[in-house]
Amino acid sequence: MKALKYILLSGLVTFFSCEIEDIPDPNNPSAADIAANAKLSDLQLLVSGTESLLRSEMGFYYDVLNIVGREQYFFTNSDPRYTGEILGKGASSLDNAGFYGTRPYAGRYIVVKNAHILIDAVNNTAESITAQEKNGYTGFAKTVQAYSLLLVLNMQYDNGIRVETYDPENLGPFLDYNGALTSISSLLDEAYGELNNAGDAFLFDLSSGFAGFDNPQNFAEFNRAIKARVALYSGDKAGALAALNNSFMDLGGDLNNGPQHFYSEAGTDLSNPLFRTRNASEALVAHPSYMADIRPSDKRRNKVSRRNNTAVLDGLSSDFDVDLFASPSSNIPIIRNEELILIYAEANIGTNNNEAVAALNIIRNAYGMPDYFGMPADDAVTNELLYNRRYSLFGEAHRWIDLRRHGKLDTLPLDRTDDDVWEKFPRPESEVGVQGG
Amino acid sequence: MRKIKLLLLFLTCTLLSFQGNSQDMTVTGKITDEQGEPIIGASVIVKGTTRGSITDLEGNFSLRASRGEVLEVSFIGYAAQELEVTGESLSVSLREDITNLEEVIISGLASTVKRSNLANSVASISGKELSETTNQQTMDAALYGKFKGVNITSNSGAPGGGISVKLRGITSINGSNEPLYIIDGVYLDNSAISGGLNTVSKASGGGNQSNQDNPTNRIADIDPEDIEFVEILKGASAAAMYGSRASGGVIIITTKRGTSGKPKINFSQTVGISKILKPLGVREWDATKVETHFGVDEVANFQAAKSAGKLYDYEQDLYGNTGSQRTSRITLSGGNESTGYFVGATVKKDQGIVPNTGYSKNAFRLNLDHKLSDRIKLTTSTNYVKSSADRGFFNNDNSGTTMGIAFVATPAWAELHPDENGNYPNNPYAASNFLQTANLVTNNESVSRLISGATLTANLMQRDKSNLQLMVRGGLDNYTLETRAIFPNTLQFQKDGNGTGGASIQGTTTSANTNLAAFLIHDYYASPALTFRTQLGTTAENFNRNNIIGTATFLNGSQTNLDQSGSVAVSQSRLLQNDRGIFFQEEVNYNDMIIGTAGVRADKSSNNGDPNKLYYYPKGSVAINLHQMTDLSSAGISQLKLRTAYGQAGNFAVFGDKWSSLNPINIDGSAGLVISNTIGNENIKPERQSELEFGFDAGVLENKVALDFTYYIKSVDDLLLRAEVPTSTGQTVKVVNAASLENKGIEIGLNLNLINTEDFRWSSRTSLWQNRGLITRLDIPSYTTGGFADFLGQFRIKEGHSPTEIIGVGPADQQDEDGLVIFGNAEPNFQMSFMNNLSFKGFEFTMLWHWKNGGKNINLSALLSDLSGTSPDYDRIDLDPDSALGNGDYRLSQLGANSGPYIENAGYLRMREAGLFYTIPQSVLGDTFDRIRVGFSGYNLINFFEYRSYDPEVSNFGGKGLSTGVEVTPFPSSKRFNFHLTATF
Repeated sequence: MKALKYILLSGLVTFFSCEIEDIPDPNNPSAADIAANAKLSDLQLLVSGTESLLRSEMGFYYDVLNIVGREQYFFTNSDPRYTGEILGKGASSLDNAGFYGTRPYAGRYIVVKNAHILIDAVNNTAESITAQEKNGYTGFAKTVQAYSLLLVLNMQYDNGIRVETYDPENLGPFLDYNGALTSISSLLDEAYGELNNAGDAFLFDLSSGFAGFDNPQNFAEFNRAIKARVALYSGDKAGALAALNNSFMDLGGDLNNGPQHFYSEAGTDLSNPLFRTRNASEALVAHPSYMADIRPSDKRRNKVSRRNNTAVLDGLSSDFDVDLFASPSSNIPIIRNEELILIYAEANIGTNNNEAVAALNIIRNAYGMPDYFGMPADDAVTNELLYNRRYSLFGEAHRWIDLRRHGKLDTLPLDRTDDDVWEKFPRPESEVGVQGG
Repeated sequence: MRKIKLLLLFLTCTLLSFQGNSQDMTVTGKITDEQGEPIIGASVIVKGTTRGSITDLEGNFSLRASRGEVLEVSFIGYAAQELEVTGESLSVSLREDITNLEEVIISGLASTVKRSNLANSVASISGKELSETTNQQTMDAALYGKFKGVNITSNSGAPGGGISVKLRGITSINGSNEPLYIIDGVYLDNSAISGGLNTVSKASGGGNQSNQDNPTNRIADIDPEDIEFVEILKGASAAAMYGSRASGGVIIITTKRGTSGKPKINFSQTVGISKILKPLGVREWDATKVETHFGVDEVANFQAAKSAGKLYDYEQDLYGNTGSQRTSRITLSGGNESTGYFVGATVKKDQGIVPNTGYSKNAFRLNLDHKLSDRIKLTTSTNYVKSSADRGFFNNDNSGTTMGIAFVATPAWAELHPDENGNYPNNPYAASNFLQTANLVTNNESVSRLISGATLTANLMQRDKSNLQLMVRGGLDNYTLETRAIFPNTLQFQKDGNGTGGASIQGTTTSANTNLAAFLIHDYYASPALTFRTQLGTTAENFNRNNIIGTATFLNGSQTNLDQSGSVAVSQSRLLQNDRGIFFQEEVNYNDMIIGTAGVRADKSSNNGDPNKLYYYPKGSVAINLHQMTDLSSAGISQLKLRTAYGQAGNFAVFGDKWSSLNPINIDGSAGLVISNTIGNENIKPERQSELEFGFDAGVLENKVALDFTYYIKSVDDLLLRAEVPTSTGQTVKVVNAASLENKGIEIGLNLNLINTEDFRWSSRTSLWQNRGLITRLDIPSYTTGGFADFLGQFRIKEGHSPTEIIGVGPADQQDEDGLVIFGNAEPNFQMSFMNNLSFKGFEFTMLWHWKNGGKNINLSALLSDLSGTSPDYDRIDLDPDSALGNGDYRLSQLGANSGPYIENAGYLRMREAGLFYTIPQSVLGDTFDRIRVGFSGYNLINFFEYRSYDPEVSNFGGKGLSTGVEVTPFPSSKRFNFHLTATF
């Protein structure tokens, strides 16, 4: 009997002491594995993933900047903040944990992170790819990183932003507005150098949103377009003109030419987050000043459409829907020739106002207006420029930034007593008090 | 009913066949109840030995004993008795144990103990209390208010359940707070699996990225009427033997079994209705208010509707359905000396208070017991459930499409009713016409589930002084869940370019969990006064779940198959986990005076950073029965036990937290990989809970009055947090073991059984419990979580503060160092329940009251209705301290500056259950029927609360983590009335 007891005891212990196998993640590949040992197909997956991420949380970015810049309202029964904090209603102020600030912020830095993984994977891969081919990948990765950082900076403004974020345990310092612009500019230049040494073709494919910007040469032209915008924001007009020179700006060309965020309603792809049907009760509407201020013959009034009934919420109202996109599959432009022409015009103000006016006339004529006949003084041309930027880039999250850099935020209309126009969004709560934040 | 109690049988069968060799005579006798009815299956054991017997159909027993030895007679539901052997014939009548001091408790994995010898406060109730007062829709709903120390909240009133259960406070912040459910030894899966409605609701698009689909917890599948007994091990001191899964406590369910005797057939039929618990009414409109909220253009529409008599009460239209309820059930039980059987079948069909919602269940159970020989016994349980819940489309969204969100945005003069051709007009005030949504949308969960378990018990070795048992137990819980959400392309929010041209979201989840365990139990009777019980066991649990959701959009006409569409997307997620445990426990009993237990469990799991690292969970406890040591009866005290227990238990990391993954994404037909939001932690380890409890149980006046008191301190270390990382890393959270918390609380129970005559009986159980949580250590900066934004009210995790503290924005002079204002706590001040049972001749009246004092909710339904001017209390003035503004205007005036007005007291007093039954006397019945019982009952019939919505019991985020008590336009709760007929023959 004793023997039986011991046999049973040892049986129990043996049963227990079998090793448990470590189960790998059954659902997803590991980030560390791919960064360390990527196949060529993995590199393509990371490129597509990074391009796809360029779209992440962009709906919030556009909505929020368009609302704070008094271009649009968003009337929804689901969230009071679109007509509350973002417009500074009553005593409310922006919350550093509010989705309107944190989600666009996160949406941009995840691009930076994914591009870092791509760069690591390219540098570590055992696949035989040439230095030129590697430059193609890294030129792409750094350009989209720089573009994403610029969008973060647009919202954070003089809070400054982190530019160096490779090591999550040792994040770089917060650079002030000008310092951040300088760093973004250098990153663009680094990418530009790589793209210029990347041969004739990328080893990877981009979506059709980048049609015409999908080899190292024309992708470099996109890089320079972003560079021109950064230079303009830095006040470096000469730098802007130089960058435009190597960009895809075409004074006689299609104003809408430029790379785009691809959208589709197919499968798991993303559909255009800004698209709304007309007369929807959950309404994305034009700020009333859009139609109040537009000049009679300006065809840009077609960017909005009159509603069957007035949209009303929270003491605000509008008769016009924003009508920029035809369908949920419409792409959203990243940067368009029209903006480049406007940058060209602005960069010429003060040094060559005639050239500036000539560029503005291209825009005016395109929308059914005659040549500019106002004063040629800097102020007057600047006002004409701002009018055209407002209407040409309506709904593309520019007006708020433009008025801020021209010191004219106080010209924005306040619709209710005690509303506020914010100058910037608070530094997200997750950055406060950690690693120098 | 009481005569079919089986727990004890289970215990004593293992002792049944022992034949001693030193006894000098055969003692026979009869065990009866106080009415003289024989008790079948009562256990009679010679104290301090392995000799015993159980009573037969006539209540007779027979065993070998010698003069002077003591017989212990016990049966579940009755007070145990001891009597000395004085002759060859002994008869005893047992007194019903209404105070529950004597019942037998499954304290460990493989053994039981008398409650009077238990060192823990283990809450337990019988199947009678669970489901006999009123008709219970689901297992979870049957538990409310019946256990002290247990905080159960329903997430909404949607048919098919959905609850969160927290035992003795919050035990985890990000991990699961839910207890482990074990039914007849089978580990039950209690997942809440999303149906993928987010595609349409976009609920995760705004402030909170969690799933807000409000799915059912799968524990709802269990048929409450199958249950014989439920025990709740509330913390680590009682549950340590369950190791790494027991931190949230353990709920042990035992189902009914057959007993030897003639076949008994029990048929019951319940019919009833359900109505909205508390309609709020709608706002009274006039032209001025219309102009203020909807603009001057709307006034004409309002006037036109008013003069046409077309101001509608949409609350009545949407929530005013009277749902029919019916449940039919038949059971058959019986057996002979070697075999017992119990067969049960239930057919249930309940309608909800929203059109086209409801719950149906068909369940079948077969429990078989068979004695293979004198020494070997096999018990098996098999349960098949097929259930279907139509849950409507509620809770938060970011598309204005759920019925609740659209309802609060719609004023009375809107015309939403269909025309004569059945076409619904668009709702100009919201993104959806909720009447159309209610009529056309399908949101169904259906389950086909098989739960099966078997236990083999063998007496390997028996001597007069010792005995060795082997118990081998296996269980499997297998189900297929199909979720089906159909949004036809004729819906306002799916047609004319809105939405996605219809959506058909169909998910299939298969879950196959198995558990296997083996135990050795050795009893050693050193002397009649001193006994030892040693247990050693190992357990293995394996979990395998696979969830696939197909989402089709741009549906072909009215087709709903996934391939009848313009676009299909598929997602899949799998969960695999293997756990192994080993445990040892030693129990010493000195003459029932002092009972000491010590043990340790070691666990390893593939879910931990190191799958083969062992985590140890010790326990120890002492119970001292003072009444066994000295005679206290002169003081009127029949029982007095002091007890203390300590134990540890764990809680696993959420599956997947080990890894930093790349997730799939798609752009223009090309696949891509993107980094996930979570930084994985390859060193992740389980949370560890330590609990110390002490208290006393006292019985006076022959246990007619029983009082118990427990105080506990429960601390949790290595709490798993999703610590925020700087967003500039590109990720948002990192899983770390980075905090400790502590719960302290008291539980008091008072059971009265004062009147107990043949014609009139009254008994009551009163429970009072209170818990206070505190974060005692936090290695990361304090943060807010669990809501949408600070200004709307959130929970805050901060050292030195309660984990359920609700904060918000507020006046500068009230702000603390975080710039936030504390508005209260989701945790109630205390809770109390009061169960009463009165019987007079054939009548029996039972009622259960439940009082939750205090505790706050974040009521965002009020906010959303304020924004549209539709709040029922919009014009009432009782909030503004200056008594100037109506409630709606006042709340809105504070929005963004003061979160207070939307953080409301969620206390309540409600009559959870009440039932009045009549048992037709045997004299009337004749021979065909053994018993016929008829009656009426109600559920949630009487409610008192000041909370400004349908029910203070609500959770937009389901049962996850902290997020109870946040309300966003839920499915309103209902009350139910039932008629019952039960016949036994």
